[in-house]
This record gives sequence, structure tokens and C-alpha cells, in this order.
Amino acid sequence: MATHPSAWAALLRANRRRIALIAVLVVALVLPFIPPFTGEDYRRWLVGAAFMAAQAVAFDFTAGYINIVNFGFAAFVGLGGYTSGLLAVELGIPPVIGMVVGGAVSGFVGLVTGALTLRLRGIYAAVMAWFVGLALMGIVRNVPELTRGSLGLAVPSLLDSPENLPYYYVILAMLVVTFGVLTWVIRSRFGLAFRAIGQNLAAARASGINPTRYLVINFVLSCAFAGWLGGFYAHYYGILTPDVMLTSHTVEVLAIAYIGGRGSLWGAAVIAFPLSIGVEYAKVQFSTLPGVHLVLYGLLLIVVMIYRPGGVAAAVRSFDDWLERRRRPAVAEAPHPA
Amino acid sequence: MTNGRVLDLENVEAGYDLLQVLWDVTLHVDEGEFVALLGPNGAGKTTALRTIAGFLKPLEGDISFRGRAIGGAPAHAVSRMGLGYVSESLNLFPAMSVNENLQVGANAVRDKARIASTMDLVFQLFPRLLERRDQLAGTLSGGERKMLAIGRGLMGSPTLLLVDEPSLGLAPMATVATFEALKALRERGVTILLVEQNVNTTLHLVDRAYVLEQGRIVLEGTGAQLLRNPHVQSAYLGI
Amino acid sequence: MTTAATNLRPAPFLRRYLTFTWLTLAIAAAIMVFEAFANASLVVNTLVTGGMWALMAAGLAMVFGVMNIPNFAHGELFLLGSFTAFTVFSPIQDALFDDPSLTWLKVFGPIPGMVVALAVGAITGVLLEVVLFRPLRRRSRDQWVMNTFLLTAGVSVVAINSYRLVVGNDFHGVSGYWIVPPVNVAGVPISVDRLMVLLIAVVTIGLFALFLQRSRLGRAIRAVSQDETGAQMAGIDLNGIFILTMAISCALAALAGASLLFLFPAYPDVGLQPLYTAWFVVILAGLGNIPGAVVGAFLVALLQNLTIFYVGVGWVDVLPTLFIMLILLFKPSGLFGSAVKGVWEQ
Repeated sequence: MATHPSAWAALLRANRRRIALIAVLVVALVLPFIPPFTGEDYRRWLVGAAFMAAQAVAFDFTAGYINIVNFGFAAFVGLGGYTSGLLAVELGIPPVIGMVVGGAVSGFVGLVTGALTLRLRGIYAAVMAWFVGLALMGIVRNVPELTRGSLGLAVPSLLDSPENLPYYYVILAMLVVTFGVLTWVIRSRFGLAFRAIGQNLAAARASGINPTRYLVINFVLSCAFAGWLGGFYAHYYGILTPDVMLTSHTVEVLAIAYIGGRGSLWGAAVIAFPLSIGVEYAKVQFSTLPGVHLVLYGLLLIVVMIYRPGGVAAAVRSFDDWLERRRRPAVAEAPHPA
Repeated sequence: MTNGRVLDLENVEAGYDLLQVLWDVTLHVDEGEFVALLGPNGAGKTTALRTIAGFLKPLEGDISFRGRAIGGAPAHAVSRMGLGYVSESLNLFPAMSVNENLQVGANAVRDKARIASTMDLVFQLFPRLLERRDQLAGTLSGGERKMLAIGRGLMGSPTLLLVDEPSLGLAPMATVATFEALKALRERGVTILLVEQNVNTTLHLVDRAYVLEQGRIVLEGTGAQLLRNPHVQSAYLGI
Repeated sequence: MTTAATNLRPAPFLRRYLTFTWLTLAIAAAIMVFEAFANASLVVNTLVTGGMWALMAAGLAMVFGVMNIPNFAHGELFLLGSFTAFTVFSPIQDALFDDPSLTWLKVFGPIPGMVVALAVGAITGVLLEVVLFRPLRRRSRDQWVMNTFLLTAGVSVVAINSYRLVVGNDFHGVSGYWIVPPVNVAGVPISVDRLMVLLIAVVTIGLFALFLQRSRLGRAIRAVSQDETGAQMAGIDLNGIFILTMAISCALAALAGASLLFLFPAYPDVGLQPLYTAWFVVILAGLGNIPGAVVGAFLVALLQNLTIFYVGVGWVDVLPTLFIMLILLFKPSGLFGSAVKGVWEQ
């Protein structure tokens, strides 16, 4: 009998990560009912935050695990959005299907980009993805007959409701799916291959892993999710302009992924909420100072890069380690060499 | 400089993040001497040279060069003080010509005449380099690259030259040439601290030697003494 | 500085079509170029913008080659130079407006702006190295390329938006630097401003090349870009070289911005096109390859002007990207080969 409470405690401790995640999810689910998020304006922020979170997860899947910065990420998102939007406008295809097609299109463009550049140093892929993004933005701007260019493409909504709440739950579900799928991939043999490639390229090759193939798979997955999420963006905001593909949007996503912790999908997902909402708040407070939120993102990114490259996730992990060490005083010290 | 002592290591401990390599190493090199640091693979010989040259900060102990403490000083500063270092991996500039590599070696030397005369010396010692003066360093053969590395080290007119395993990976002919060059340098009065695995040849060449095993100095003596030493004979000379 | 060995070959199945494709492309290009050159302003524009991109790209290539930093804030140095020149030249322009007979001012007026821009650029470069890169380098060299990439992306965002907050979105330009009638070259009138810009670019690149090739410091910089340990063994202080490299690179970019003020007025996003072009040149020519970057700059300027001439200004981002993807397919290390130190694949 005396062992039961400690057995429960041990179970809780062993699963503390899963429990923490579930707790966070529960909080996210009830957040719209906690003031001030009961108001429509604030719920809009929640939708935005969840959208950023999902993007950050897809982005970090590439940046954190195969060390490639997809600097054209926003364009892949936008490409999915335009695909889905145009399919709806021109061919009447329902948004739910259109979003998936958008994901496929972005995935395909990611495949071409990745296949060409991922054999080379990571910087090539990063810069080429950036070029591809700029090219996509240029194409969208230059075929206004199709895309309406800078005037904006009006896109039918995903849901009939004029309220933000259902959209929030949709994007939250998309976030969970994105996170779930990508985490599953990380845990699978693919994730093992990613890490092997990241740590020792030659050894990975010698073990029969074709690095390029895995790099491309990772890149394509990330772009596909980006496109799918872009579809949501289109059918939520209802209007698309080429500006959605701007590099500064990629930098926002990047900042969140980094501050959350490179290589930590949950870090990116969780930190997106306070960060995104905080920045929206700052935007309102400093409405007379345009672009100040970008300055904040930039400065935070710089500071994190230099002083806390592990981001919030690393801080949480070391705190967790510290707790563990306190609970269980030092196990045998490492043997002295020689 | 106190009593002609060029290099002095006292109780030096050094290593990398989680691995200590050198334990309580004490050695010295006097002006004009040709000293060797011998030992098996992994003993810590390269670590010792890197620590002296300033690429590694010693954990404990003192290193002094010409009477000045240099433990922990940055590598470029140590080089400028007159301590030349020829690393095991050579660290040549592959996209520069032989000539340019040598010129860079003289980066810290102000006197143009001295640079010119040192370069003449280098080409005298290594005629092959003169032939390939304008050839890119990255296209040279293994032996030629070693020669260039030593030559570049000389361009700084060093008081002491550290040479790490010059015979490594070389064909016998090239090894002979390299050791001949070192002998010639020694005859010109250059003080040399040599790290080598090729024990036999080295002991015949040098004044004194230390044997480093598992990070500790286990033997020291003149070349002749060590050649007679039973441990050296059984462990390194196969006798 | 020539190509380092590359062990990357184009996908095997493409090699069969290599010669045929090159031939076709070469012929097509020759035809287009010949047609376009009948238009003299195209030639002039190509040379002028090519010169400027050469300044931008050379600096970018140098920083990447020497310090392994992909500088994404490079365009903001262009903006800095542009705005500095504007600030210095505006009062001079006003003075000339009031009294157009001041010949010496007319002739030498634009110079101070450019010189100050050079200085401001250099100082900014030094600050970036000391305040940002050196602390990062001290902390860890792990994932260096990606970290500095992100760092400079952050700097870019901060710089552009700070400029927007402080100065505003307005265009700050000048009508022209040298208000004199255009010069006749082979029957074609060319504005003196453009000629001067070309001259400045050529002279600067020439001096820069001489510096790198012939001087002790220039050799030291090249040495550091090839082997840092070897450079230290030769007594070269890496930190000093890094400061110098950043100073030169940023000064060149600022000069580009300053001298093109009459074409590109100062406004927050003005640096984006030069940034993109500089990166384009560097990737096309081969990362870290400085001479390649200079040549590549003119090629890219030609490519851009041809695109504008034949297709339209809006496509100037699109077609070059497709072109470069084609090049990377056949020559992954760039047209002239890459010259980066360290591991080929990270």
C-alpha cells in the first residue's frame, strides 16, 4: 500500500512532458472563454497566434532538424493560399479540398527547390528558397489577370460563421495535426536519419543513408504543411495580396521558431502564443509607430541568437534537469580518464 | 633570456573539454638545441605543441618562451614573439602560390631585406619549391607541401621552431629530404623542438629527447642515452 | 584566387544533354544580346548597374569567404550610404541652387557625400563585428553559418524598421549629382552622373583588387579566408582581420548606395533590391569567390537589363531565379567555382 502513491508519482514524472503538452492544449482550448479573449478582437489575435504557431512548427521541422533555413517560407505559405483561393474562385472547389491541393502544390515546388539545392551546403538551400520565394511573389504580382496582384484576391470563407471562434478551433486542430504528424516523423526512422545527417554526414553516408533523399523529404513535408496552412490563411482573412509572401513574414515565423527553441517543435508551438499576442498588443499600444513590432521581433531574435541560442525550450529543459538533479542527488561521477 | 633557455614548460596540464591529455609535463629547450618529443600515437604530443603555440590554453602550469610567460597567450601573439609552428595538418593556403604562402609566413617581419634573405634560404633548403614557385599550394605533392609548411614557418625568422610529425605520411625519400632540411637548419643555429613517431631516425639526429606516454613524460635524456635505453629499445625500436 | 576543388557533378542523366543545352543557350543569349546592344542605353545601364552590383557583391563575397558570414543586412548598408550621401549633399545641392555659378562646388560637391558614406559604412561594419559577431564567436562556433545568417536577418529587420520609424517612408533623393549637360559618347548622350558612377566603381574595384592581391594586409585577408589556423601560425591577428573585412565590405556597400543616390533615392526598402542582386551574383558566381563576383555582377546586370528590355520590369526577380536554378543544375558550385573554406557540405 505504501508504494502506491509513489508509483503514481513516478508515472506522472515519467510522462511529465506529455502531461505538460496536454495541459497546454487544454489551456489553448479554453482560452477564448477567459477574458479578455472573450471579445472578437482578441479572439482574432488567438487565431493569428495559433496560425503563427503552426507555421513555426512546420518551419522548425526543417530549421531545427536538418539545419536548413527555408528563407522563402512565407512564399510557400502564400503559394498554398493562392492555389486554394484561385481554385475556389475560378473553379468553385470547396476550400477544404483546395487547402490540401495548396499543400500539394507547395510541396511540389519545395521538391524542385530542395532537389536542386540540398546536395550543397545549407546556405545554398536557404538562399535559393529565398530566391524562389521572391520569384513566386514576382509571378503573383505580374499576372494580375489571374491573381488580381496587389489589388487583392477576394477568397471565399472556409466557414459560414462570421465569428472567430470556429476558425480558432479549426486552426488549433490544424496546429495539432501539424505538430502530431511532424513529431511522429521525428520519432520515426526518418527523424533518426535527420539527426544522423546533422551530426556526422560521412558516417551517415557510410551507413547507407542517402542524405539528399532525407533532406528533400524533410523539406517537402515542411513546404507542404506551409501550403496547407496558407490555404487556411486565404479562407480566413478572405483576401490575398502578394505581400503575404514578403520575407519579413518569414522572419516573424523564424523568430518564433528560434525563440521557442531550435529543434523543439513544442517550444515553437507554445511560445508562439505569448509572443504573437504580445506583439499584437505592442502594435496597438504603439499604433503611432508603424513597424515597431518588427523591430521587437528583430531585437528579440538577435538577443536570443547571441545569448540563449537554445531558446525557451533549452531553458525549460535545463530547469527540468535541475529539478531532477535536486530530486535525485548525484549518481556516480564520471570515471577519471587515465 | 635566462641561461640561454628558450622554452620552459613546468608542470603543464592541458586538454580539451571533457578530456585531459597532458599531465604534469615539464620540459625545456635551450638555445641552439635540437630536441625531440617522442611517443606513441595519442600520447599527447600534438596537444603539447598546440598548447605551446597558443592554440590551446593550459589548465595548469607555466610555459615561458625566452623568459616571458606565454601560457594562455593567443596563437598569433606567440607567433609574433618568434615561436614558429609547423602543424601536423600543415594548414597551408591552398589557393595561394608557393611564393605567396611564404610571403604570408613573413607577415610579422618588417625588414624587407630579411624577408628576401629568408626566402633565399628556404629555396636553398628546398630547391623543389623554387621550381614550383608560382604553383598553387593546393596542387603540390605531399612532400612538397611539408617542405612549404616548414619554409613558411621559417619565414617568420623564428627563434624556436616547433615541428609536428614532419615525416607523417611521407614516402621514405621525402622523409630523408625533410630530415636533411631539419639537420641543415640546426646547423644554421635554429632551435628546434620536434615531435615525431619515427623514433630511430630522430634519436640519431637530435641532441636530447623526451618520451611522452599517455600524457606524461616518462623518459628524458640525450639521443645516445635513449637509444641505449631498454624501454625505448623494446617499445619503439623493436629490439 | 581560383576555384577550389569540387567533387560535385551534375546529375548523371543530365550530362548527356550538357553540350547541346549549353550550345543552345549560348546561341540564344548571343542573339538576344546582339539585338539588345543596338540599344545604347542598355549598354550604359548594364555597365553602370553592373559596376554597383560589383561593389555590393565583392563585399558580400569577401565577408562570406573570410568570416563565413552570410550577411543579410548588406542591403541596409546600401540604404545607410544612400541616406548619408543625401544628408551631406542636400545642403550642397541647395547652395548650388541658390548660386549656380560656384563651379568648384559643382564639380566637387558630390564627393564629400560619398566619402562620408564610405566612412560611415566602415564604422558600421566595425560596430557589427565588435558588438554582434565577436560575442557570438566567443560563445560558440557551432552552426555558425546559420546563426549569423539569422542574426543578420534580424539586424536587417531592425534596421529597416528603425529607419522607417526615425526618418519615415518618404523618398529622399537628389535630382542629380553633377548638373551638367550629358556627354556624347559615340553619338549617344550619356548623363555625366552615370559616367561618374561607372568611373567610381571601376576605380574602387581596381584599388580593392590591388589591395587584396599586392598588399601585406590584403594577403593576410586572403590567408584568413583559406586557413584560419595557418594564418594565426603566421602571426596574423584574426580579430583584426575580421574588423578590417567588415569595414571594407560595408564601406563598399555604402559607397554603392551613395553614388547611386540620383537613381535610387533613400527610403526604407531601397536596400532590398541591391541585397537580392548581390546575393544573386554571389550564388551565381560561386560563394566566396571575389573576382568571380565582380565579373558575375556585370553578367547579372546584363541579365536584369535584358529581362527588363524583353519582358518587363516586374519579371526581374523571376527570370533570373529560373536562370540560376538552371545553372545550379549543371554547375552546382557556381559559374566560376566556389572558394569557401571548411567542409563543402555542412
